Amino acid sequence: MEKILETARIICLDSLAPTIVRLRLESPAISAAAQAGQFVMLKVREGIDPLLRRPFSFHRIHPDKGEIEILFRIAGRGTLALSRLAPGDRVSLIGPLGKGFELPLDRTTPIAFIAGGIGIAPLGELIAQILSGPAPPQKAHLFYGARSASELLPANTVAELGLPVHFATDDGSFGYNGRVTKLFEEFTACAEEDFRPAEIYSCGPLAMQYHVAKWALANDALSQLSLESLMGCGIGACLGCALPSADSGPGHDLRFVHVCEDGPIFSAGSIKWNQILIQQSPPPTYLFS
Amino acid sequence: MESNPDPTVAAPNLSVQLGPLHLKNPVMTASGTFGYGEEYASLTDLGRLGALVVKGISLEPRAGNPPPRIVETPAGMINAIGLENVGVEVFLRAKLPYLRGLEVPVIANIFGNTIEEYAGLAERLDGVPGLSALEINVSCPNVKKGGMVFGTDPAMTAKVVEAVRRKTSLPLITKLTPNVTSIAEIARAAEGAGSDILSCINTVAAMAVDVFSKRPRLANIFGGLSGPAVRPIALRCVFEVTRAVQCPVIGIGGITSAADALEFMLIGARAVQVGTANFVDPSVTGEIIEGIGLFLKSEKITALSDFIGTLDTSCLFPFAEDACNSIEI
Repeated sequence: MEKILETARIICLDSLAPTIVRLRLESPAISAAAQAGQFVMLKVREGIDPLLRRPFSFHRIHPDKGEIEILFRIAGRGTLALSRLAPGDRVSLIGPLGKGFELPLDRTTPIAFIAGGIGIAPLGELIAQILSGPAPPQKAHLFYGARSASELLPANTVAELGLPVHFATDDGSFGYNGRVTKLFEEFTACAEEDFRPAEIYSCGPLAMQYHVAKWALANDALSQLSLESLMGCGIGACLGCALPSADSGPGHDLRFVHVCEDGPIFSAGSIKWNQILIQQSPPPTYLFS
Repeated sequence: MESNPDPTVAAPNLSVQLGPLHLKNPVMTASGTFGYGEEYASLTDLGRLGALVVKGISLEPRAGNPPPRIVETPAGMINAIGLENVGVEVFLRAKLPYLRGLEVPVIANIFGNTIEEYAGLAERLDGVPGLSALEINVSCPNVKKGGMVFGTDPAMTAKVVEAVRRKTSLPLITKLTPNVTSIAEIARAAEGAGSDILSCINTVAAMAVDVFSKRPRLANIFGGLSGPAVRPIALRCVFEVTRAVQCPVIGIGGITSAADALEFMLIGARAVQVGTANFVDPSVTGEIIEGIGLFLKSEKITALSDFIGTLDTSCLFPFAEDACNSIEI
């Protein structure tokens, strides 16, 4: 896959929730090559502060218009600076990067989408592609959680995705009171609902993904998890975005996969979850300002 | 030199001679920031590079350190990758053939846990077609054995360089660490042991913590700081080294522009390596090469070699009495 370096023009920035911004970019070359689940490395501004690019998944891809959308939560210096840009401003992108989601072969199988916080971002394009296909799944549900209602997309925006949505918040401020994975487990265990997903697509913090992976492995469901890791370059050079691999290489106890090149989409069984350190799940915000 | 404003004059000569190594221009990629070249193929013109230094290679594959491995800091980043690499055999089989196809000198950066491993790598790589030089990494701060353990001791540095020198006829570069009391002393030891060229600096030992989780940001606790934040430190180190040794020196540390690169060459570096900036802007090396040419042209310098080491540290008092007296009122 060719990586493309492209200067993109900001078409609009929409604040969808107190800390969530949707950014629409004119990026003809990248939008033409992009797949759901892939990402771009975005340079927020010229200069050395912040120094590194930031990875963002494609929230929507519009190859016909030569545009892409990304969705981000203001969580640190980079995203704060990005939220302050204006239509007409230009940002540098490298993309499309990584391996995208594989769409279900048998579209009649029941599918669960699970999103934690800003993990809703890559599922937007994926859901749109799967639901608009020639044989949309008979049963598809989205389980969408966040710490608090203020970190969820507005319900009417989510409703536009066109499938049943089950909300959860850790503080109970909207929808189910508790973790989204708990809601998912209870829902799938409920005989009346009769929903046993054969395929799971998920994106969210590692703590959420661990529970998704556990369920998928225990229930023999196919899973495609969009995972995260602090990323330096996004193109396989710095080797910073490592995660412990379930396959140990010859002569090693532990081997690592790299989110940027081997992922960001991984199956539940490909990660050695018990070797992920607590620092890999950073606290939700570093913002002091 | 006659001044010539004519824009049609020949482009300045950017070629540099580093001991036995001739480069068409002074800009190389730094080890560990450019993979094995192929990662960047669609993003920049690899053929323009002065040389390409590949990710550090060890005899056996290395898995590297547990993540998190990197953290961004003001104008820089700290990494503790732990020299994850495919090992020398996979490098020769799967990575080098691609690099051979480029019209660019390839420099293999080598790393060992023991002196024997350094020697073993030198022996394995000696005479391999497509390699122009070896860069000995005695300066990685992120591994428990080898690396910086050797590079912080002049006698140990000399032993590693001697062992490698005995096993290869390739030009040798020794990459120095700034994490020492006297980098000049280490530089002299490496030169005395047979290193043809020195490169400096490797990353600066550093750490970062998180006040919310009360934990270190890196699983390894310590890492190496790189990026623009280290450039003044690097400049001082290169200055000291160029004045301590006779052999050519390659300047490394936080270079993101032609102006940065020229600073290192002004103080005496014969060439430069660009590291962290490749992550941010994959095509930065091409811009630096072009920028150096533009600078020389605007300064009417026909060859880069005429600019290298021209830093003037002499004292001049333009408003001293004699000068004032000569002012006609």
